[in-house]
This record gives sequence, C-alpha cells and structure tokens, in this order.
Amino acid sequence: MSERVSSRAALVGGLLLWFAVLGGALSWAVHSLAAWSIDELACEAGHDDLAGVPLVGAIALAVLLPAAGATAALVVSVLAWRRLRPEPREDGDRATGRAHLLAVVGLWLNLLALAMIVFGGVAALVLPPCQR
Amino acid sequence: MTPADLRTALRPAGLVTEQPVGRSTAWWGVMLFIATEGTVFAALLGSYFYLRFQHGVPWPPDGIAQPDLRLPLVMTAVLVPSSLPVAWAEAGIRRGRRWQVRAGLLATLVMGGTFLGLQGMEYHENLREYTVTTNVYGSLFYVITTFHGAHVTVGLFMVCWLLAAAGRGGVSARRPEPVRVVAYYWHFVDAVWVAILFTVYLSPRL
Amino acid sequence: MPSSTAAARGTRPGPEAMASLTRHWAEAPSLRTWFGTVDHKRIGRRYLVTAAVFFGFAGASAVAMRTQLAGPEAGILSPREYNQLFTMHGTAMIFLFSTPMLFGFGNFLVPLMIGARDMAFPRLNAFGYWVFLFAGLFMWASVPAGAAPNGGWFAYVPLTDERNTPGLHLDVYTLGLLFLGISTTSGAVNFIVTALKLRAPGMSLNRVPVFVWAIVATSFMVLVALPVLNLDNALLFLDRRFDTRFFEPERGGNVLLWQHLFWIFGHPDVYIIVMPALGIVSAVLPVFCRRGIVGYPLIVFSIVAIAIISFGVWVHHMFATGLPQLSYGFFSAASTVITIPSGLQIFAWLATMLVGRIVVSVPFLFVVGFLVTFVVGGVTGVMFALTAFDQQTTDTYFVVAHFHYVLFGGAVFPILAGVYYWLPKMTGRMFSVRLGRWAFWLVFVGMNLTFFPMHVSGLLGMPRRVYTYPGGLGWDPWNLLATIGAYVVAAGLLLVAVGVVHALRRGAPAPDDPWGGDSLEWTTSSPPKPYNFPVIPRVHSLHPNWDPRTVESTGPGATEDRILAEGRTTLCTSELDGRYERPVEMPEETRKPLLAAVGLLMVFLGLLLAWYWVAAAGAALVIGTLAAWLWPPRRTPQEAGVAG
Repeated sequence: MSERVSSRAALVGGLLLWFAVLGGALSWAVHSLAAWSIDELACEAGHDDLAGVPLVGAIALAVLLPAAGATAALVVSVLAWRRLRPEPREDGDRATGRAHLLAVVGLWLNLLALAMIVFGGVAALVLPPCQR
Repeated sequence: MTPADLRTALRPAGLVTEQPVGRSTAWWGVMLFIATEGTVFAALLGSYFYLRFQHGVPWPPDGIAQPDLRLPLVMTAVLVPSSLPVAWAEAGIRRGRRWQVRAGLLATLVMGGTFLGLQGMEYHENLREYTVTTNVYGSLFYVITTFHGAHVTVGLFMVCWLLAAAGRGGVSARRPEPVRVVAYYWHFVDAVWVAILFTVYLSPRL
Repeated sequence: MPSSTAAARGTRPGPEAMASLTRHWAEAPSLRTWFGTVDHKRIGRRYLVTAAVFFGFAGASAVAMRTQLAGPEAGILSPREYNQLFTMHGTAMIFLFSTPMLFGFGNFLVPLMIGARDMAFPRLNAFGYWVFLFAGLFMWASVPAGAAPNGGWFAYVPLTDERNTPGLHLDVYTLGLLFLGISTTSGAVNFIVTALKLRAPGMSLNRVPVFVWAIVATSFMVLVALPVLNLDNALLFLDRRFDTRFFEPERGGNVLLWQHLFWIFGHPDVYIIVMPALGIVSAVLPVFCRRGIVGYPLIVFSIVAIAIISFGVWVHHMFATGLPQLSYGFFSAASTVITIPSGLQIFAWLATMLVGRIVVSVPFLFVVGFLVTFVVGGVTGVMFALTAFDQQTTDTYFVVAHFHYVLFGGAVFPILAGVYYWLPKMTGRMFSVRLGRWAFWLVFVGMNLTFFPMHVSGLLGMPRRVYTYPGGLGWDPWNLLATIGAYVVAAGLLLVAVGVVHALRRGAPAPDDPWGGDSLEWTTSSPPKPYNFPVIPRVHSLHPNWDPRTVESTGPGATEDRILAEGRTTLCTSELDGRYERPVEMPEETRKPLLAAVGLLMVFLGLLLAWYWVAAAGAALVIGTLAAWLWPPRRTPQEAGVAG
C-alpha cells in the first residue's frame, strides 16, 4: 500500500472495518437480549406497558434500532468489500487480502443478523406480546 | 473527525489499518481473563435482575429495608479512586522509577484494605436484619458482594506479590508486564464494583 | 522487515545451530521431566490419551445401559444405578471426552499449524492438563463410591436440590464441573493468544488454516459460555450446601433461572464440541480430494457466524416451559438462521469432493461417515425449530436419536478421522489400513443400528431416561436393535484402539508427509522435534506446504531471525497480518503447574467432603505456587534498567 493516510484516519479506518465485521452481530445481540427480556419480564409481572410505553412499542423499538445498526454495518461492509480487491498475485499485499476476507465475513454476518432481526420483527407483528 | 477524515478512512489504505496490533501475549492473556471474569459478573448481575423481576414487588421482600446507601457510597469513594495510584505506579515502571511503583502500590493496598474493612462493617450491620439463608434477596446480596470482595482480596494478593517482586528488582522498565497486568485486573475489579453499586444498592430505589 | 534484506539471506541452520536448538528445547527422559514437561506435543498427546480413557468409561456405561434396555422389564441395573450411569455417560461424553479430546488435537496441532515452537503460555498449558486429569478422576471416582451424579447431564432443579436429591451426587457434579472449567478456560485463553501472536511471519488471517480458525472460535465461545455454567453450578452448590435460596420458590427463588443459565451455556456448548471437529474435517477432507478447500472465506464466515449466533438460540431447549410465545419467536428466528452457516460448510465440503480427485483412505472414510450421520442429525435438528413439533417430541427417544447423530456423527467420526490422519505425525508410525477399514465399517454400521431405531421408538412415545419399560408397546424390537448396535460400535472402537497400539508396536516408520498435506505440520519431521521447526517458516499462501516459496523459506531461504537457535525462543508476530515483531523467550519445564493442580484438587475435595480446612490448605498451596511460578528471575539493576 503506497498511499499514506493520517494516523487518525487510519485508526478510524481500522475501527470501521471491525464495525463492518461485527456491527450486525452486535446489533442482533442487543435486539435479542432487549426484546426477549422486555417481553418475558413484563408479561411475567402482568404488565402490558413498560414505564408508560406500551409493550408493543417497546418491542418495536428493540427491533427497529438494531435493524438500523445492522443496516449501517451492512453498508460499510459492502463498501469495504468492493474497495478491497486483493491482487490476483498470491503474494500480493497481504493486508489487503486479510481485510478483504474480513469484509466478506462481515458482509454475510450482517445479512444474517439483519434477517434474524427482521424475523423477530415479523413475529412481533403477528403474535400478541403476552400470549402463552 | 471531519468528513474528509471519514472519506480517507473508507479508502483501502484506511481500511487495511491493522488493529489491534503489537500487544504482548501477557496483555492478551489478562484481557481474555478479564473478559471471562466479566461474563461471570454479567451473568450474576443478570440473575439478580431476573430473580428480582420474576419475584415482583415488594423488593426487597419480607419487610427487609431498602439498602442503606451511606456506607456503600463511602466504600465507592475509597475503592474507585484506588485505580489512580495503580495507574500512577504503571506510569512509574515505564520510566523505571521503582519508588513510584512502590508508593502507588502501597496506596492501593491501603485503600483496598479499607474497602474490605468497610464491607465487614456493613455485613455486621446487615446480618442482624437478614442472612444469606433468609430469602433470595439475602442470598443475592451476600453472594454478589462476597464474590466481589473475594476478587478485591485476590487483587490485594497480587499487589503484595508485586511489592515483594519490585523490591527484588524483578520488575523493571524493560519488563513492565507484571505491573501492567495487575493494574488492568485492579481497574476491572473497580469497574465491577460500580456495576454492583448500581445493581444492588441503587436499582431497588428506582 | 529484517528477513527480506538480501544480506541476511541463505543461511540454512548448520549443525551447530541444530545442536543448540536441541540443547535448549529437549527434555531428558526422566521422571522429573515427565511431571514437569511443558512441551505442547507431549501435553497434547496426554490430553488425547486421557480423554480416550474417559471415553472408554463413558462408553462402558452406555453398553451397560443398552444391555439393561435390550428387552422389557430387565433387572440388570437398579433404577439408582441406571440414573447414575446415564448421568455420568452424558456428563463425561460432553465434558470429559469431547472437549478435552479436541483440545488435545488443538494442543498438538495449533503450534505446528501456525509455525510456532510452543503455545503462548506453556506452563499454563501443563496446568490445564493436570487440572483436567484431576477433575476427570474426581468425577469418575464417584461411580465406585456409589455417589455419582444422578440428575441427568443438565441437572434441572428442583429435582437436583438438597430436598429431592440428598447425598453427594450433585455436589460431585457441580464441583467437578467447576474444577474442570478452570482447565477448559485456561486452555481457551492459551489457544487464542497463541493463534493471535505466535503465527509464523506472513501468516495473515486469510492464510490461517480452517482448523485453527475453528479452535480459536471455539475458545472464544468457551470464554463467554463457560462462566455462565460455572455460575449456575456455584449457585446450585451454595443452595445445596449452605442453604441459599436461588432456586427455591418458597423463599423467592426461581427454578427457571437454572434452565436459562444452563442453556445459555448449553447450546453454544453443542458447537463448542462440534466446531473443532468440523475443523478437523476441513483439514482432512481437502487433502484427500487433492485440492484446497472450496470457499475458504465462506467457511471462515460460517465458523464466526456459528460462534456468535449460537448464543441466541438457547431458549429453543425450553420451548416446553410456558414462556410467552413471542419470546419463542425471537429464538426461533436465530435457530432457523443458524442452519445457514452450518449448511454452508456441508456444501463447501461436497463441492470440494465434486471438483477434487478423491483418494479413499481410512481418514477419508471417517469423514464420509461424518457427513452422512451429521446431515441426518441436522435434519432432525431443523425439525425442532418448529415449536409445535418440539413440544411433541421433547423428552422422548427421538431427541436421544437426534443428538447422538449430531454428536456421534459430528464429533466422534471427525475425531476418529483425525486420529488416523495425524497418527503418523504424532507417533512417527503408520497404521494398518485393513484394521482401519474394519474399524470404520463396524463403527458406521453399529452407530446407525444403535441410533436410527431410537427415532422410531421416540415417535412411538418412549420417554428417555427410563431404566426399563413394559413389553407390548411396540418398543421391544427397536430397543433390541439398538442394543445389538451398541455392541457393534463397541467392537469397532476397540479395533481403533487395537489399530493405534498395533501402529505403535509394529507400524512402519512414517514419512514426514504421508498424505501430501497442505498445512505446516507436514513440513516438519514425524514425530516433530521438541522445537517443532529448525527454521520458523515464512508463509506465502493458505497452503504453505504446496507452495514452493514457503518451502524455500525453511531451506535455502532460511534467515538467522527465523532460526533463533540461541535460547528457547519462538517468534511474536502481529495480530492480523502476521508481521514480524520480535523473538520471545519460552519457559522451561517446571513442576509448579502440577503442584498448583494438586492444590486445586485439595480445594475441591475439601469442599465436597466438607473438610473446609483441607480446602483452605489447598487454596494456600495454590496461591503460594502461583506466586513462586510467576516470580521474576533475579537480574542486576543494570540489566533490569532501573534508575532509582
């Protein structure tokens, strides 16, 4: 890599790549923990609201915010994947090859994460929150 | 962070930046150890909330009073700042100042010891009202705080070990790893206390 | 980078350097070094042998149970004995066989595959082995004492609380697993740090063998999942021994807490067992297809995805517990999606076979056995993602059939493939192909004969964990078939053991690379020298042994900075791209890890038998040993660089 970038841009770039890899998975983790614990604990306690917010609304938030996070990660991973073409030569710059691999891993991870969040959202549309 | 920076960061030259990089095996070892210990505490505090919400009101149950905040806040004021002398000692080892390492560690030792003493006082007070077998609240309170206290004790053992090792010249600017490892562990124990303060002492009042 | 300068080029290690390497790394054969070894290869072999012995015990329990169940109303085992046997069978197969066995492969192979001379923390490695050994003996010793765990491998409360199961049984379970957890956790930390820091220069993440990816992902799962199980067991022990109230509803506790914590650990654990085994398959299969694995990036993705998503599916073990249906929905989504990465690996292997030129050797046979049985287990697994079906079959033999297809297919077959594949490297001896083929067919046929009928008896309503059953319910023929199958499997596994012993005694000397493998362990001698590599290679591709430039880097292209003959030294490289950083000193043999493990044994025995002073003495021994273990070597102030 001949191009030099400022150390701050390099730091942000490195972090963005990790966001592209793990952002979707983290969003999904937040989604499933939040949505499940809100639902199970509120229903167990016999509430259908959470500090004034209706339960359905709280669950919708626990779906939409993580979905936005996963989408952002997906966009970054697609960008990274398109820009980091490894050179065809086997021993080309290995940092590019490594970053490309991570971008591919992230791309698919983000897709799966988004799918899971959307499926969770569909379930929330179909089922009343406290039906047993 | 300017938009121009972001654009540069998203260029291949930015994205391939290697991160994390250049850490020692000891650094990774202690970080992973802290991660797994942190998971224990997360599961323990998660269990607190699970049991509490499954239990319903009133919480604490069986007429136990809300936890008294005065002593825990003093304990916090003793334990959390004790991260500073450790960090100072760590800065000292990098410059090879052995006296600074010793002074910092001694201060930590005193503060950590005071914390444990205060915890003993708190137990003495609380045990009159409820014990670990009274009900699930008592079990949670004593097990969570004792488990954390055990970690403080282990941390103090480490500090003592380090004081002894530093006295023999085994810790040095070229080998700062032991000081660093103990410092990370101590910061972790402090951070866990903040989580416990919130969970056990403050959250029942919310 | 120093090694790329022309000045340092072309220094194959001379006899002097070789002698120096041997002097620094070799362990004289004595009792002292036997107890004090830190060589990852010896420790790895010990893990494998010890886990195989525990496998034998657990297998013998299974044969005893199958004998009891051969016909209705049999009286070979009492209900008490049966409960202890099925609990120990499950617990040992999961905790004392699968994971340690795969950690044994990891111990032996990870440093070899990444071109390092040992693990990152060799003494911690030795400590992990001793703790595993003692924890295993601790648990198995309870069987002859009549105090073995008897609450099933997942030990649900309230069945397992003090009131319903008095005695030491469950204390052995909780303390034994806590004890073992120390070993597994230290092993996991060691694997991650080793794979991050000790890779040969040039081995960026996109050149790491799939097996190493699998071990590292597994280790991360261990670090996040195991603490939850440890907490669960600690709480149960406190409830039973010291009357805390975590699981006691009358005092505000909650029995479902046990299940939640157990399965937060338990489902990832299925992958903790299977993932390294899949890694073995990804190492063995391409070599016998004579080409690199198809879709390497997707396989890496699949490993990472499974490691993460497996934490979000635990409630699917609890579809029968009456939680709100919407909360099932969130976990159903994850349970359904996780089949995608799992299926992806299967298709990658099939594609590799399709485009490759297959050589049907003994390891390859076991890989095929794995593919067939694992897919059957996967199909029944997908069925459970449907909450309605799950509620019909939960706690029947259908579930038993499912997870034996998954675990026998997904772990035992790959492990056996790995045993045959790496036996030449580990022992320096070739095995008898005829014995190997016989063993495969006996295990394969026997396995299907044992577990396939259980699908049927399960659908016919036979509940699991019954010590006997009345005749005339249509279950008899299926149970008889399963029992016959169990004996066939036992015969096949015995032949595997015979084959290993035969190879050790009579086997022909193995060449360095009998299979034409692609990863770095095949570039060194069989068995490898104590220092693994005379020259630490410089890696240029994903298949270093098939790549002339990497091979050259250890021959004519060897450089001083990768020979490192002056001292017991290996290389530190950067985390992601494997850039050359610096040589690091490795510790020498010591018996302190053994001593620390003995201290822990005292702690756990003391807790079990309520001899708390023994536990306290053990704790003191552990602390003292650790303090001495980590004590820095004495150096002069100048050397230490101290100013004041």
